[in-house]
Amino acid sequence: MNIINKFFLQVLLLPSFLYRNMGVSIPHLKAILTTKLIMDDRRPNSIHQTKKKKQQKPITGATLGTMFFSAVLGAIFLLSFTLGKDYLTQFTIYFTFYIFVLASTLISDFTSVLIDVRDNLIILPKPINDKTFVLARLLHIVIHVSKLVLPMTLPGMIWIGIKEGMPGLLPFIFLILAATLFTIFLINALYIFILKVTTPEKFKNIISYFQIFFAIFIYGGYQLVPRLVSKAALSDYSISSSQWAWLIPSYWFAGSWQFLRTFTFNSPLFICFILSIIVPVGSVWVVIKYFAPSFNQKLSMISGSEGEAAPVKANSKGIISTTSAYISWMAKWLTIQGAERMAFLHTWKLTGRSRDFKMKVYPSLGYLVVYLIVMFMNSKKLTMAEVRDQSGGGKFIFIGVIYFSSFLLLMALKQLIYSEKSKAAWIYYITPVTTPGKLISGAVKATIVKFYFPLVAATSIAAVTIVGPKIIPNLLLGICNQLLITMFIAYLSIRELPFSVQQSNASKGGTFIRGLFTLLIPTTLAIVHYLVYTYLPVIIILSLLSGIASWLMMDVLKNKSWNTILTRNYEG
Amino acid sequence: MNPIISLKNVYKSYGSKQVLKGINLNIYPGQVIGYIGPNGAGKSTTVKILCGLISDYEGEVTIEGINLKEDPIAVKSKIGYVPELAELYDVLTPVEFLGFMAELYNMSKELANDRITRMLTAFGLEANMHQRMDTFSKGMRQKVLITSGLLHNPGIIILDEPLSGLDANSVIIVKDLISKLAKDGKTIFYCSHMMDVVEKVSDRIILINEGSVIADGSIGELQQQQGNLSLEKIFAHMTAKDSLSDAADQLMNAFGK
Repeated sequence: MNIINKFFLQVLLLPSFLYRNMGVSIPHLKAILTTKLIMDDRRPNSIHQTKKKKQQKPITGATLGTMFFSAVLGAIFLLSFTLGKDYLTQFTIYFTFYIFVLASTLISDFTSVLIDVRDNLIILPKPINDKTFVLARLLHIVIHVSKLVLPMTLPGMIWIGIKEGMPGLLPFIFLILAATLFTIFLINALYIFILKVTTPEKFKNIISYFQIFFAIFIYGGYQLVPRLVSKAALSDYSISSSQWAWLIPSYWFAGSWQFLRTFTFNSPLFICFILSIIVPVGSVWVVIKYFAPSFNQKLSMISGSEGEAAPVKANSKGIISTTSAYISWMAKWLTIQGAERMAFLHTWKLTGRSRDFKMKVYPSLGYLVVYLIVMFMNSKKLTMAEVRDQSGGGKFIFIGVIYFSSFLLLMALKQLIYSEKSKAAWIYYITPVTTPGKLISGAVKATIVKFYFPLVAATSIAAVTIVGPKIIPNLLLGICNQLLITMFIAYLSIRELPFSVQQSNASKGGTFIRGLFTLLIPTTLAIVHYLVYTYLPVIIILSLLSGIASWLMMDVLKNKSWNTILTRNYEG
Repeated sequence: MNPIISLKNVYKSYGSKQVLKGINLNIYPGQVIGYIGPNGAGKSTTVKILCGLISDYEGEVTIEGINLKEDPIAVKSKIGYVPELAELYDVLTPVEFLGFMAELYNMSKELANDRITRMLTAFGLEANMHQRMDTFSKGMRQKVLITSGLLHNPGIIILDEPLSGLDANSVIIVKDLISKLAKDGKTIFYCSHMMDVVEKVSDRIILINEGSVIADGSIGELQQQQGNLSLEKIFAHMTAKDSLSDAADQLMNAFGK
């Protein structure tokens, strides 16, 4: 166990005599907590989980990683004190950041602490009394939260300590505690609400989406906040002039801090102080009284839900199918009967149902949106007229939107060969598939339809609406080039069959060269497109050439033979 | 002789579905009980009740004379349980995991370490003792799980499909171990779908179907009642609603023959 966990464990075991009097077995409590903390240190946190590649080496310093990450976030929160013109506004922003980030982090990371269903089979059959088990779980949560909260608030404490001294620091520490309790209540309430309106299986999916959202939020914050900070208007803003501020809990905490500095009982800040005490304490009471009893029961449902799925309904012809008419239609038009069509439908379903795939690919969609916002923010002089006329910055934005979207597609493409259930790929090897390229081309086509078509549709509609029909040739060239890029990179990089490789076996060799290609090809084509943008005949000819080249590349991909396929899972 | 395990009118429902419909059983020390039944018959529910994992059942369960509802901790310390699912804290090594189990059973460190080393070595895991279990095969995990169930030398051992994932040699070891544990006076409650193994290792077979005990006796007694059939045939005869041969015919008919 690392020194930090050891420290927390020793501190929390200090009142052992008290626990013993409550009927808790101290050796059991210590054994459970020690084991859980060792496991925490070896478990990937939400940041590890959304990384594109799993680490080859076992994780051993997750605690330090989580704490460092929390401290970085805490340092970012300090930006709050550069916004707004008074402390009330600045603390409101600080507490908003704090509550939001803590809640998101806990939702992402908490589940494995709170819901370790293995406990049901490993610890519960052992001679452990309920009090020991419940206290072990509670203290484990306290340690987990402390490891996040302490580093997250440390930069704020240092800053306030330097600026305001002890009279400012002590109320701050007290209010951080209150805000933490309130956040835990929010999460409990959210968990109970989600479990109430949905199935335990969907609950797990929702948690995954939260993790994805959190990764995007952090990335977006990193990219956008520094750009927002420079806006002078925000520096002059004061929240005290807005009545709606009373609806925000972080405003109560901010007001409470001000009250505790001055103790002016006849000001509205006193109400903030009362609210900042009553609401968290009341929340804890609600959690203990109403949520906790049903909470464990609800959570235990999750353990029994593995593999449960909604029953599939038969259609009007009595045929049971999980494929929508749109997908079947697409598969029919875009693929040839047999292996390619099977791979198309198979990929469509797996990419939609695999949590792992979503965790790796969906954040890219969010990053793309952030990139686009950043791009727009950077083009400060861009006018709507320029976008409409496709002159100056308007042309640049269009090219940027079209070619940036290739990164999402390429990310999905890169992830296509990986699966946590890679051994299930035996089906490819026992069936009489003569050309495995068809499996790859079917999977690539499904990826294009799923991850690129919606973007193409949205971009085309937006471009034609804003610019008019004159954009269509350039739109066409952009799309054809995208397909060419996809085919080319698929040919170069996909050397294994879809979903046939363990994520942990992801090869590191050639990553740099492949990464360079992935970056270079879209950039080169984007530059060429930009240069010929206004020459309509050239655009039409290039669109045709690009379309034909894509078609030929697809054909080459489709005809990949067994000799060119790596089958590392099944050798030896 | 007093029964070591006694179930009196045990009922258990999940919502409107009644899973156990009044189970009455007396199990005596040193018996090897083969507890068999089709999927959904109520086997796992019975096991979970005996291990103290399910407490909201009706009826009375006593183990070594202790009422399970009144003192579950005392009961749990007398039982060794090997669950069907190989659930382990797999980021730990076998030594770390089993050390944790030993602490929960209040074993001394010296005794635990000695036993863990000897048992893992007997299972051929000496080279893997300090490796994280997330890379282990199903069979290796199962060996660790069996070790965890036997580590504290319990008087009652509940085994739920213990041979799952084991190679042929390990199966022989575990079968032999069951016989030797029984000779040592342990009571074994053995749940499995492997009828040939159940037939060989059990001296009493309890057949449960749709929440009720439908047969209880030694293999000889069951054969006397049902004709001189193998346990597999007796099981099929007593639990299959339709003829299994008909089902095979239906499968063949799917090929259009």
